[in-house]
Formats: sequence, C-alpha cells, structure tokens
Amino acid sequence: MKKRFRDLFIDNPMLVEMTRFRRRFLTVKGTQSANAAVLTMLLIIYAGFVLVVIQNCAVIHPIILVFLEITVLTIFAPMMLYGSIAGEREKRTWDLLLAAPVTKAQIVAGKFMGALGALAIVSLFFQVPILIAAIGYDEQKISWWKLIEAELVAFTFALDVCALTILFSARVKRGLMALGAVLGILVTGIAIIPLFLSSVGMASSTLDVPCYLHPYFVLTHLVERDPQSPSGIWGVPQILVYVALALVLLAWTENTLNFPENEVKFIPKGDKNA
Amino acid sequence: MLEVKNLRKEYGGLTAVKGISFNLNPGDIFGFIGSNGAGKTTTIRMISTLLEPTSGTAILNGADVRKDPMAVRRMIGYMPDFFGLYDDVKVWEYLDFFATIYKVPVKERATVIDSVLELTNLTVKKQAFVQSLSRGMQQRLCLARCLVHDPSLLLLDEPASGLDPRARAELKELIAELGRMGKIVIVSSHILPELADFCNTVGIIERGELLAFGPVDKIVQEIQPHRVLVANILEKADEASHVLSGLPSVLNSAYTDDGEVRIEFAGDFAAQAQILTKLVQDGFQVTAFREDSADLEDVFLRLTTGAVN
Repeated sequence: MKKRFRDLFIDNPMLVEMTRFRRRFLTVKGTQSANAAVLTMLLIIYAGFVLVVIQNCAVIHPIILVFLEITVLTIFAPMMLYGSIAGEREKRTWDLLLAAPVTKAQIVAGKFMGALGALAIVSLFFQVPILIAAIGYDEQKISWWKLIEAELVAFTFALDVCALTILFSARVKRGLMALGAVLGILVTGIAIIPLFLSSVGMASSTLDVPCYLHPYFVLTHLVERDPQSPSGIWGVPQILVYVALALVLLAWTENTLNFPENEVKFIPKGDKNA
Repeated sequence: MLEVKNLRKEYGGLTAVKGISFNLNPGDIFGFIGSNGAGKTTTIRMISTLLEPTSGTAILNGADVRKDPMAVRRMIGYMPDFFGLYDDVKVWEYLDFFATIYKVPVKERATVIDSVLELTNLTVKKQAFVQSLSRGMQQRLCLARCLVHDPSLLLLDEPASGLDPRARAELKELIAELGRMGKIVIVSSHILPELADFCNTVGIIERGELLAFGPVDKIVQEIQPHRVLVANILEKADEASHVLSGLPSVLNSAYTDDGEVRIEFAGDFAAQAQILTKLVQDGFQVTAFREDSADLEDVFLRLTTGAVN
C-alpha cells in the first residue's frame, strides 16, 4: 500500500503533467499567447466580483459564494480534462506513453494530479471573496466549521467531476465526445432530474432523498442548518462519498486502460495495417 | 541481445503473426520488410510491449516482454509510424518530458538533451516549437526522443515514410551511426533499396510468417545462387545463345525475341571477359553486356505473393 502510494504520488514521473497543465493554461508566451487575453479578462472579472462582494458583504452569505465556486469548478474541470487521454490518442502520443516505463495507474494519477493543481488554484481564488463575506456577513453568525464543510463539498465534488471526465476520456475515441458525455451527465444530474422531480409534484422535503448527493442540496442544507448543530447527515457524509466515488472512478479508468486489446480497439477506422 | 521466440498474435479469428523467431545482436540493423498487413507493425508492437503476444515471447537482454514489460520498456526506444508530438511545447521541453518519464536523473537531463539534439542535428532548433519543424526535423526529433534514455533496442516503424530524399539520406546515416554505437535497430520499411544500404540483416514477412531472415547478401544468394549475365545482340540471338551454351563456365543460356541473351554463369571475371570476346569474335553485334545482379526488391518480389491477412 505504502509502495503503491509512493509509486503514484511521489515517484510518479507522470506528475510532470502538473507542469504541462501549468504550461497549457498559465503560460502566456509562444503558442499560448492567447492565454494572456483570457487570463487578463478573468482577472478583470475576478476583481469586479471581489469588489461586489466587498460592497455587499453584509448581506451575502459566504456559502452562496460556494455555490458559485462549485458551478465554476464543475464547468472548469471537464474543460481541462476532456482530452486528457482521448486527446493523447488523437495526437497519437498515447502509444509513446504506453511504451514508456510508467504504469497505467501512474498515467491516470498523473493526469488527475495535474488537474487537481489547477482546481486548487481556482479554488484558492474563491477563498478571498468567501473570507470577506464570512467576516462581513452580519445577519447570522457564521460557523467556520460549516464553511470548511461547504468548501470541502465543493472541492470533493470537483474531484468527482475530474475523475468522471478522465474516465470518459479513457473510454471514448475523441476528446469532444468525452466532454459532451460529461456535460450531459452533469446537466442531467444537477439540473434536469431535480427540476423533473419537483415538476411532478415531489415536495422539497422528499426531494432530499433522491438528491442526497446533489452538491447544491447539500449546500442549501448547510446554509439552513443551525450554526451550533452538529453536521448530521449533510456535509461530512457527502464529502466522504465524493472522495470514495472519485477513487472508484479513477480505479475504473485504470481498469478501462487495462483491457487487453485496448490499443487495437482504438486503431483509426480504415487503418488495415496490422 | 534480442531473442524473438515463436511470437504469435491472434485477433479473434485472424492470426496476424504466426509464430516468428529470430535473434539479433548489439550493432545489428535489422530491416523488417513486408507489405501492408503482413504483420510488421504487430510484431514491433509486441516487442515494444504495446500488444500482448497470444503465445511466444521476446527477450531483450534477459528481460521477457511478457513477464517483465517495465524492464523491457526501459531498454527500448519505440518510434511508431506516426510522429506523436505534443503541439504546445518546445523541442527541449518535449525531450525533457520524456527524459522525466524515463527517469533520467535531473542533473544529467540537460546534457542528455543537448547530446541527442546534436546527434540528430537539431541543436539549432532547441528553442523552437515542435509544430514549427519540418517533417524531416520532426522525424529526427522523434528519434531523439527515443534516445534520451540510451536504449539498447530501437524499434523504428516506417521511419522514412513521407520524407524527402535529403531527409531520408540524413535519417539513413543516423540509423547507421546508431548501429555503430552498438544498439540493436529494427527498421520496418517499404523502401527496399535504402534498407539494403544500411541493414546488415533483413527479414521478409508475409501474412504473419517470416519467409526469410539473414544477411542481405546471403538471402540474395539463396534466391539466385549463380551470377546472371545479360547480352543484348542485334541479330541472331538464338545462335548466340546456342554458342554460349557450349562454354564450360556457362550453366544455362536463354534468349528472348528482342535480342536479349540471359546467361547463368559460374565463372570468374576472366571467364566473364571470355564470353564477351567469344561473342565478338563469332561476329555477333553486341550492343550491351552486363551483370544482372538480384537485389532486395527482387528477393522480396520472388518470395512474396502480395497476399495479406
């Protein structure tokens, strides 16, 4: 177990993916010069957002900002990772990785850790307005523990989205197919199913059961909960489930890459050369 | 040393490779020849651990591709029949990425990258983005990537495809240099005359079977054990053929209607000169006299039928 952990997270040469993520999304020179415009625009939006929070911090519940954080992370994660494995196949660099002395688990862990670093940066940016709102909010005393719980709900749910995207990227031939599938699942799970259930007349209290793992429902319960009450069934249980689910999805991804004729299944159509 | 033992690969009902065996030693440059679908790429992919053999195995310096694929991967450099380049990185970054994957020590990485760039004549392109390189340069960069961890076996699948004549010549020289460095090089290609130039061993594969294996000269000699001389004569080629049949060094002589006489010959250069002298002395008007030596292409066409799996 200790050796496996070391192989995956310490001695894993595929952790170089973290550097590749940084180069791809944060480098502003050379072929990535378009990043400069995008990053500048994002920084302007971010500065405006922080100013709005500063001006209205007395009435903005900090967990409301965590809703926004989840939304951003949920969109950001598939955008970053849809090509993580399918893109390697499209660029035909996948064979080079498979022929290198790295295990499939190390490849998956490297891709996941790369995304994790980027998500952590995005998440960190959200901490500033959340902290401002937590300090300035005067309608109700904010429980710091509840805020941490909400943050962990957001981050661990983003881990699930990352793991799901990597899984789809491993199972399909084209990166955009993975992106479409993941966004479809997220829209269905986060918006369509709850809307459908409420439209068929399900009461909001009974919606809690089918939406037990819905991150927005979890956050709503955290907002509504008495600050002094223990965490109960909302918060920590979902965090644990999200972490477990991420691990299961990553293991599934590795297993997907292990199926015996993986390479053959992805030979381009019409390529008859054995 | 590479030992390939009864390597076999089946896909459902199709047998792509039917139990091929051969051995290669350090310094060997092995030309792997076959039509599309003959099983070259499948064989190379099995040796490179990308495909698991249905039966049989390959052993590289004591490491078995089935039992210890990781050890094999550390010793091979695999260049597929496509570039496989990341498009958002510089040349040195691309090599640095693979040097990291192959666990080249951090302190040595810069030196290693510089030396493989020098070997592949890409030093001036170190800071260039990979997509800005010409096709020939990209091919050399792929080869440089294969060399960052100093492998003992190089598997080059169609390395010259799509290259212009100059780039081919440069690649040929580079592969020959790698052989001189003591590496085992397996090259699959359709460009047979080029393979004959720098390969010391060739193998011909068709429908998953290795039809011939060995040094180029030996294989050529096997399909054409005797030298063949060709004389072009203006008139009476039939008579000339008859006259030559009586000479002791001539094993067989045949003529065609367009005046060509093919002479199967088992003599030395003096005897060869005597044949020409005899033809001229007997009044035949000889317009051309040459040796028709078989080459790798003749061997390939003679041994194979063009059938695919």
